[in-house]
Amino acid sequence: MIGERVIRIDGEAKVRGRAQFGDDLNLPGMLYASCRFADITCGKITRIDLSKAKEVPGVVRIAMHDDVPGKPTIGLIRQDQYPLVDDRVYYQGDVIAIVAATTLEAARKAAEAIEVEYEAEEGIYDIEEAYKPGAKLIHPEYETNVVVHYPLRKGDVEKGFAESDRVMERTYRTGYHEHAYIEPETVAAESDINSGGVRVYGSIQNPYNTRGILAGFLGVPLNRVNVLASVLGGSFGGKDDTATAMACRVALLALLTERPVKLTYRREESFRESYKRHPYILRYKVGYNTDGKLTAMKIDILADSGAYSSQTFFVNWRSVVQATGPYVVPNVHTDIRGVYTNNVYTGAYRGFGSPQIIFAQETLMDEIAAECGLSPTEIREINGFKNGSKTASGQALDGHEVSVLQVMKRAVEKSDFQRKREQYIQKEDDRYRYGIGLAISHRGCSLGAEGTDAAAAVVSMQPDGSVYVITGLTENGQGLKTTYCMIAAKELGVELSDIVFLDPETATVTDSGATVASRGTLMGGKAVEVAAKEVKKRLFGSVKEHFEAETPDDLVWKDGMIHREGYESLAMKDVAKKTAFSGVNLSAYGWYRMPDAEWHHHTGQGRAYNTFVYGCQVAEIRVEKSTGKLEVLKITAVHDAGTIVNRTGAEGQVYGGVAQGMGYGMLEDYNVQNGVLKSENLDEYLIPTAMDVPDIDAEFIENPDDYGPSGAKSLGEPTLELTAAAVNNAFAHAMGRPSDSIPINLEKALIGKPLNKPHRSSETGEAKKLRLGNLSVEQPATIAEALDMNRDQAARYLAGGTDLLVQLRNSAKSARLIDLSRIPELTTFTHKRIGSGVTFTKLLQDTELMAKYPVLREAISRIGALQIRNRATIGGNIVNAAPCADSVPPLILYDAKLRIVGHDGEREVNAADFVRGAYRTALKRGEILESILLPEPEGNFLWAYYQLGRRNAMNITRMSCAITAKLDSSGIIEGCRIVQGSLLARPGRLLEVEKAMTGQSPIHGLTDDAEAVLRKILENEIGGRWSSEYKIPAFIGMVNDLFRELAVKGGLR
Amino acid sequence: MKRIQLNVNSIDHVIEVEDNRRLLDVLREDLGLTGTKEGCGIGECGACTVILNGEAVNSCLVLAVQADGGTILTVEGLEQEGEMSRLQKAFLEHGAVQCGFCTPGMLMSSKALLDRNPHPSEAEIREAIAGNLCRCTGYKQIVEAVGAAANELDA
Repeated sequence: MIGERVIRIDGEAKVRGRAQFGDDLNLPGMLYASCRFADITCGKITRIDLSKAKEVPGVVRIAMHDDVPGKPTIGLIRQDQYPLVDDRVYYQGDVIAIVAATTLEAARKAAEAIEVEYEAEEGIYDIEEAYKPGAKLIHPEYETNVVVHYPLRKGDVEKGFAESDRVMERTYRTGYHEHAYIEPETVAAESDINSGGVRVYGSIQNPYNTRGILAGFLGVPLNRVNVLASVLGGSFGGKDDTATAMACRVALLALLTERPVKLTYRREESFRESYKRHPYILRYKVGYNTDGKLTAMKIDILADSGAYSSQTFFVNWRSVVQATGPYVVPNVHTDIRGVYTNNVYTGAYRGFGSPQIIFAQETLMDEIAAECGLSPTEIREINGFKNGSKTASGQALDGHEVSVLQVMKRAVEKSDFQRKREQYIQKEDDRYRYGIGLAISHRGCSLGAEGTDAAAAVVSMQPDGSVYVITGLTENGQGLKTTYCMIAAKELGVELSDIVFLDPETATVTDSGATVASRGTLMGGKAVEVAAKEVKKRLFGSVKEHFEAETPDDLVWKDGMIHREGYESLAMKDVAKKTAFSGVNLSAYGWYRMPDAEWHHHTGQGRAYNTFVYGCQVAEIRVEKSTGKLEVLKITAVHDAGTIVNRTGAEGQVYGGVAQGMGYGMLEDYNVQNGVLKSENLDEYLIPTAMDVPDIDAEFIENPDDYGPSGAKSLGEPTLELTAAAVNNAFAHAMGRPSDSIPINLEKALIGKPLNKPHRSSETGEAKKLRLGNLSVEQPATIAEALDMNRDQAARYLAGGTDLLVQLRNSAKSARLIDLSRIPELTTFTHKRIGSGVTFTKLLQDTELMAKYPVLREAISRIGALQIRNRATIGGNIVNAAPCADSVPPLILYDAKLRIVGHDGEREVNAADFVRGAYRTALKRGEILESILLPEPEGNFLWAYYQLGRRNAMNITRMSCAITAKLDSSGIIEGCRIVQGSLLARPGRLLEVEKAMTGQSPIHGLTDDAEAVLRKILENEIGGRWSSEYKIPAFIGMVNDLFRELAVKGGLR
Repeated sequence: MKRIQLNVNSIDHVIEVEDNRRLLDVLREDLGLTGTKEGCGIGECGACTVILNGEAVNSCLVLAVQADGGTILTVEGLEQEGEMSRLQKAFLEHGAVQCGFCTPGMLMSSKALLDRNPHPSEAEIREAIAGNLCRCTGYKQIVEAVGAAANELDA
């Protein structure tokens, strides 16, 4: 069974919609909670007025700092975080008060109605500023902004540099990384009349952490808090401290009201409060000889801990241990410091301090290789760890197979790395450059010298041979339950279906630490193995005479039977019954404790981890030369995680880790300005879609390891930590230069640096409410009826709702809506007249119509995703007039007219004149866009269209361009049209460029003259904008690409 | 407050709803069909996808009153008398499920695709689920599962 493909045991409940996630929980008499978040990022609270909030019908209780019965601060290592702040605000995610009400709507309204006044202060948002001597202290009680400093000293680094042939110095930066689990957090609590404490449910990754901290917050002993984690909708390290803070608030309310209370976050609240991966600034100075041998490394890292220390202590420690990579370096001098700022706090995220350093060190290794005239593999072969090698902390790598070069060799073979390395350079064409790059890593398994490392499990066989497994670690979605049951089944020789996994409560199993550090299989699995072996030993006691055996290993335990050649086989159910009835306890506790690791804080020397895993990933990419758009074409991932237990699950870990690592490397730009979060939801924080993640080829090298069950060890985190580094090395291969920071967004790829929208203090605006206010919806059957209903012109028209409902959710304002979606005149279309209420899907399904207007097809087929196109209407897209509205440029291109009806009658407006600016149109109040009139296209035009977005689906269009042209027989442009979208103040034709291209050949793109004309237009119109340094060259590049595409379509190329 | 009629998973319901309630709220709260999930509230993640009148939609962006008279299929309606559909089984067999939070929406988008296009290419599958974000699987095993379910339909 071990190593096979097994269907996960909790899968059926999930595909049938029966799995109970946190928000699915409803307890009798339950109240709903909502948080009042701070409005500033740093300062003093001077006044809180609850009077208006208390008047909201349905409000039961509002809790604040003074209500906390126990210790008001929490934290796994240092208690510096306030679930409910006192009179100071440390970051934007701080919570001032929490409301419990009988309905969710009432709770949210009341939270909004809490009035807070502040003395705002200038915060610190830059790590280097925060680290400067004399910087304002974020938490004055700790007397420094440095949360933790880990030094590591080995050899003599200055001597090493002096004796090196060469020295290279580089600075790298990494950004925030949001877990973006698809399930936002939920925690619920109810008071427990029997214990006098509380029961806590919800999306909690580490129930024992939550229990311990919550007991302190409530001032009760540990046995009064029972945490029962719900099915977790993804966590990746993320549902720990945040879930604990939420648990503190709801448990407090549950005790105060003596009713169950549930707090579910909206995505914006999740993003706002929850901790992220630490941004790092990494300075590397490396000494090496011209033969590629590393001699010395000096590393200085600053990590942004944000407002609280959280797990900075542990995250930064892993970084210091692994900062030199899987390489032998005789002289090392590393310092890492985690520093407080007023940014969102940072903590555990899959990888845990390794993706940052791997990005830096692997980028560096390729640069050194190039300097020495070596290939990426050669430099790694020269310096990479082998059996017995010594790490930077002086630890000899022994007791396991050091396979870093083995995994690299396999990944290189599998991806055909060497050949593609040469081939991709040749492959460059007008449009793309291609690259391939790799990264390797070593990773210490489990907690190492972070602390005591132990886990518990109970294996309990019933008298009929069926089995319970209970463990102290939790299922996060990674497949842990299935792995544990497989280990127990293998040990006991029973079927997987004979085992039931019981979801743990903290009250019933010993604290097993947290399900972190890729320790689930290694530690919990070993505990299951220990417990199962004990049960087996007890069963053996009642059959050894029958089999005349000395030890359980003399017997074959298989398929629910016990065998020995020459003896009658016995069924497990009979043996279980006999054993149980003879008074033997068939429930056993397994306890596995990892041998202690050691660490000397002042020198950074010691045996940091007992064992390690190794991995190599190869990325193949292409970069669009005009726009800098980077696409990953393939990832090859080879990992040594010891013996694989469930192959299906293990592969899933690789695919998912790679997708997250890829997002980290190129897409996931967390926009925080002066501590204020600008990427508030998944429309602005972009994670990869199914159309962005490439083919992933996964393979395992299985070197069994004695530390884990059946030779298995760790996999979850190594899969993520390598991808960004491999992508950057592929990027460097394609572009001839690496990026010195991630994510490699469009701007970095094209112009080599990020562009940030300037922060304007005036730009605060009203806080988004994130709920729908009171609505009244009327549903007319005709246009005349609709107009009649809107005599007072105060109603808004509703069509598909995909834009309007989002806007209404932002404001929570009351609104009268007239639903146009049931008016046949609007929802039908012919090939000349499209009703404004026709959905994009309906249009796209009419292939004949779309063939007539191919640019319209191209543009609208890329709007949102299918669910959006199934609801969103062409009229809604036009009327909303967002700068990124994709249907407008094609309509301008095709000379469409828009028919508008109102109380004063009917009129027609050219599509080109309809949009007046961002969100402004020619519509007068009360008017309805009735239809779009499309003229018959004149003859056969060549066309080309490009829509630039950061992803390949679900985009907000960055810029678009549509071109049609007619070529004469010699390939000269007789006439053309060029329409830009999402670029200038409003979409429209570029008449002067059209003129400049008329009479020219499109074969080399824009002519020099036409390009100069275009550049001048762009400089005049958008030259002053923050984004112009990117947008101007990128748009010119796009237009060049499109003309060349026309030339291809015209048979000229 | 309006009285609306919904046919959900082949059962007719008449429900009184406030005008500002979303189809998602009615399914989860009024009908207790908590298989449909909310991940973002703005139509970006697809966790709330249901099939409305044959088309996959984000139920967080549809007012319940707009769905009046509609036929809705949710994840709970995929099975027939307790027997999982081929698509559900394929998700299990191919490891397309990890945490499971995106799974109901993913299944509904896939079901809507296969109903319309029984032989989708890999690119068509990816496009059909592009509006369903998954953070666990990297999509590969989901795409394989949908492809396998499509092939099985032929058998």
